[in-house]
Amino acid sequence: MDIVVLVKQVPNTTDVKLDKNTGNLIREGLESIMNPDDRNALEFALQIKAEYGGTITMVSMGPPQAVDVLSEAMGMGADKGLLLSDMAFAGADTWATSYTLGKAIEKIERFDLIICGRQAIDGDTAQIGPQVADFLDIPQITYVTDIETVSNKEVIVKRRLEDGHERVASQLPALLTILGGANNPRYPNIGGLLAACEENAPLAAWNAADIGVMVNDVGLAGSLTHVIKTYVPKFKRQGETLEGTTAEVVRQLIQHLGKSEGASACKAVAATCRLMADTKQEGI
Amino acid sequence: MYRSDAEQLIRKSIARFVDAEIIPNAQEYDNSKEYPKEILKKIADMGVFGIRYPKDRGGCGGNSTLFCIVCEELARGLMGLGATVAMQCLMGTNCLFIYGNEDMHEHYFLPAMKGEKFGCFCMTEPEAGSDMGAVSTRAEKTNDGWTINGMKTWVTSGPIADFYTVMCQTNPAKKIRGLEFFFIPRDTAGVSVSKPFDTLGTVTSKISEVSFTNVRIPDAFCLTRDGQGTGYLFSVLAEIRCMTAALAVGLQRAAMDDAIRYARERQAWGKPIGNYQLIQAKVANMAVNLEASKLMTYNALKMVDRKIECKNEASMAKYFATEAACSAADSCTRIYGAYGYSMEYPAQRHFRDTRFLLNGGGTHEILQTNIAKWVGL
Amino acid sequence: MTVWVETDLCDGCRRCLKACPYGAIDMKAKKAVVLDHCTSCGACIQVCKNEAMLTDVVPREIPDFTDRQGVWVFAEQRKGQLTRVSLELLGKARSLGEELGQQTAALLVGNGVSGLGETLISHGADKVFLMEHALLDVYRSEPYTIAMETVIRDHRPNILLVGATHIGRDLAPRLAHRLGVGLTADCTELTIDPGEKILLQTRPAFGGNVMATIANRYSRPQMATVRPGVMKAEEFPGHKGELVNIEISLTSEMVRTEVLDSIKEEKRAVELSSAKVIIAGGRGVGNAQGFEVLRELAAVMDGEVAGTRVAVEEGWISSDHQVGQTGVTVRPEIYIACGISGAIQHRAGMMNSRYVVAINNDPRAPIFQVADWGIVGDVTEIVPELIEQLKQGRENVIGL
Repeated sequence: MDIVVLVKQVPNTTDVKLDKNTGNLIREGLESIMNPDDRNALEFALQIKAEYGGTITMVSMGPPQAVDVLSEAMGMGADKGLLLSDMAFAGADTWATSYTLGKAIEKIERFDLIICGRQAIDGDTAQIGPQVADFLDIPQITYVTDIETVSNKEVIVKRRLEDGHERVASQLPALLTILGGANNPRYPNIGGLLAACEENAPLAAWNAADIGVMVNDVGLAGSLTHVIKTYVPKFKRQGETLEGTTAEVVRQLIQHLGKSEGASACKAVAATCRLMADTKQEGI
Repeated sequence: MYRSDAEQLIRKSIARFVDAEIIPNAQEYDNSKEYPKEILKKIADMGVFGIRYPKDRGGCGGNSTLFCIVCEELARGLMGLGATVAMQCLMGTNCLFIYGNEDMHEHYFLPAMKGEKFGCFCMTEPEAGSDMGAVSTRAEKTNDGWTINGMKTWVTSGPIADFYTVMCQTNPAKKIRGLEFFFIPRDTAGVSVSKPFDTLGTVTSKISEVSFTNVRIPDAFCLTRDGQGTGYLFSVLAEIRCMTAALAVGLQRAAMDDAIRYARERQAWGKPIGNYQLIQAKVANMAVNLEASKLMTYNALKMVDRKIECKNEASMAKYFATEAACSAADSCTRIYGAYGYSMEYPAQRHFRDTRFLLNGGGTHEILQTNIAKWVGL
Repeated sequence: MTVWVETDLCDGCRRCLKACPYGAIDMKAKKAVVLDHCTSCGACIQVCKNEAMLTDVVPREIPDFTDRQGVWVFAEQRKGQLTRVSLELLGKARSLGEELGQQTAALLVGNGVSGLGETLISHGADKVFLMEHALLDVYRSEPYTIAMETVIRDHRPNILLVGATHIGRDLAPRLAHRLGVGLTADCTELTIDPGEKILLQTRPAFGGNVMATIANRYSRPQMATVRPGVMKAEEFPGHKGELVNIEISLTSEMVRTEVLDSIKEEKRAVELSSAKVIIAGGRGVGNAQGFEVLRELAAVMDGEVAGTRVAVEEGWISSDHQVGQTGVTVRPEIYIACGISGAIQHRAGMMNSRYVVAINNDPRAPIFQVADWGIVGDVTEIVPELIEQLKQGRENVIGL
């Protein structure tokens, strides 16, 4: 069972700075981590490997320092790492990213499964998995919470829906996207981490020429969507501080809520407001 | 091809573990005073115990710097844990690693790398601490081996260890030149281990007495011979001191992190106390001392890794970093105000744990004396 | 698109060879030669003194899309029931269509679902494209992608909106890739640019700290997924529409997945993301008993209880109840923040709430800046009073 795991290095911070010209994130000075869902994806891959053998190849697109997530993955037990790194890849939307990843995976000799995280915390788009699957013309199952069985021809997984779950079988090769929290990812092994730092570690870097793409088809130039504006959301709130005794402020609050459109969806609030109104009338 | 920086990668990896698994539970571990078995299992599974041993002999292929980075990060989470792990990685296994035969490697060293067995180091005696010449635990040669008699105390991990590296006097006439190290499995007849001591700090690391009464061991268990003992001890002393310094750096960071968090949250006269300059001065001192401690510690470690003589640098680092840790823990309790006096907040734990650092790797009185001597007094 | 050398002009200076970042230029007989793995990046063109490097790469132009007409919505149904977000999107599609002078259409995919056409029309669809097939009975990525692709290629819409449900977020990216079009995920705002007449898609980024407006100028349809609950469903009584049957040719070989079971879970332990009322607690709640009182309030208001990272770390509430950057993002009608200071990480998870109430004894807590109504006071006093007053109202109404 040869598995490709897609992994992304993402910034781990709430202190977000953006490039004024491109609207893209400025990554300098931010701590970078392996995208959390990708860790769950790798954990499943490692469990499958433990049971059925085979190799795990990590593929990541990113700047040179993204090699750290590949090293970390190798510390967890992945066999090989492939970093797609080229100035030309920068600023890619999901279309250009999945094209780049797809072209690279095509060059990998064989795979039975591609596993990736459901989504990355810096974009939350959840698009790369399905788009890579379509690029490679293989079936996809998204929102996977459990992998039940794997055979030469088929994988059976559990997939989360909003109101329950499905058990889905897919022919191989297939692509799965894993929901965060689906399993408990292991910590990397120190020996594995150190081995990944060595010159002869099985890590490779490919640029645009290596995967055979034109620079105009990748990165910002190859993207179909473009960020035209970014802004920090302003909170439009009433910002009213209620004053009085405890009983008074609570009463005011219920009345405000009761008058608000939508907030009256809460039955108790509506009922209490009606009661308050009735009591008032009686008083008059 | 690009490669990750090993030191950064290991630090980040261990830090993530410490932040997720240790810090949220540190208070609970400390309160329970229990030996944190499960967390040690996880640390063992990460391969930490083999960090400073070569790959072809069952280790991870790291070095002393990487080992101390791990010590620092673990101590940032919980000093007692840092102490236990440091013992297993260095003093508890190193002599066995260097001098043990293949059989001993197979049955003790390799299991220790996996965390299946624990080792520890017995040096101090009730009547012999800094003054090693006074060591009275006696090893006597017999026809087929050795007989050991004596008592060791302040043995970190004594109650949990499966084997001991014990410093014994082979020839009292030779004084410290007669000191040699012996390997003694705990299940050998005549070995007895006291109940864990009730200690002020590092309460999760178990410390006890270990006594040896007519303990008979084969000749192969004599690890150092013909005066190698003190040579061996001096050869690892620099690393032991750097390790203690790294633990002290970890404690400084923990104390500073907690102090800053509290100074931001706690309000007085309508603003966070961190806005007041006397609090700022304390935090600034902590930061400066931390920076200096790190530089001294990792500078000495670079020398250890390059096998450059650095007993002076290592002693200074241990002395400075530990004093800085005492000062940081003190400032932390002051910034916490009355809550620094409460057992429910972490400030008191840092304060208590500093006492552990003062003694391991040499008392500061001895270190100061040596430093003065080395600089020419 | 390629780069080539005009051999007569090349003087063999090797500048291009040094400039090429991909090692894709070689020298043969003292002339530069472009190798197969050239990426057309143009670095050689810039350094050539003799203008011997030529390219047919042209700057990108925005194509003419004036023939692309119609604002479409994927009408997601599960077991014959339309999802609420589909109707919400139709309302939005209708107003976007009016602005553009284009018709609104719904894409209804399934098996035996034609009856839903009426609902779609009454919610604003001018046309309902109905695609029915036995293989479309239960949602699966592949046959749904094929069905959608067929109708979109034949009828060439301008805009396609999809609900950002688990199904929508599975289908939309695969479909967008199949069609070769851009896609913006999880939009919270959609407008038409008055000048360019393109769809401006606004979505939260970086855990909601930043809003990004995204345009899709180079491909059609302009595709976006939209979070449920953001747009408002509208009914247009008497609105007339047309139901158009679309033939979909599908064979079972085209479908490589099979749904073995579908298990509906009565109510998931935590339904924070769809809760109408959320009572959230932070450090100021003080202890686990404090959370019991919040649970009581939640019971009275038919809501859910949530907590901040601190509350989770303290063990007062389990981690699946955590709201914020690292937890769940919620958008209830009413969000009552009890003893929460309002760190940015927490605000990121609740800023889309319709109404925010803050109860905190520190008047300077940042939570008050994002609250509609704030009460400065002790949670342990205010919350029991709130429970008391609401209980009176509740008991007054039979059946509550």
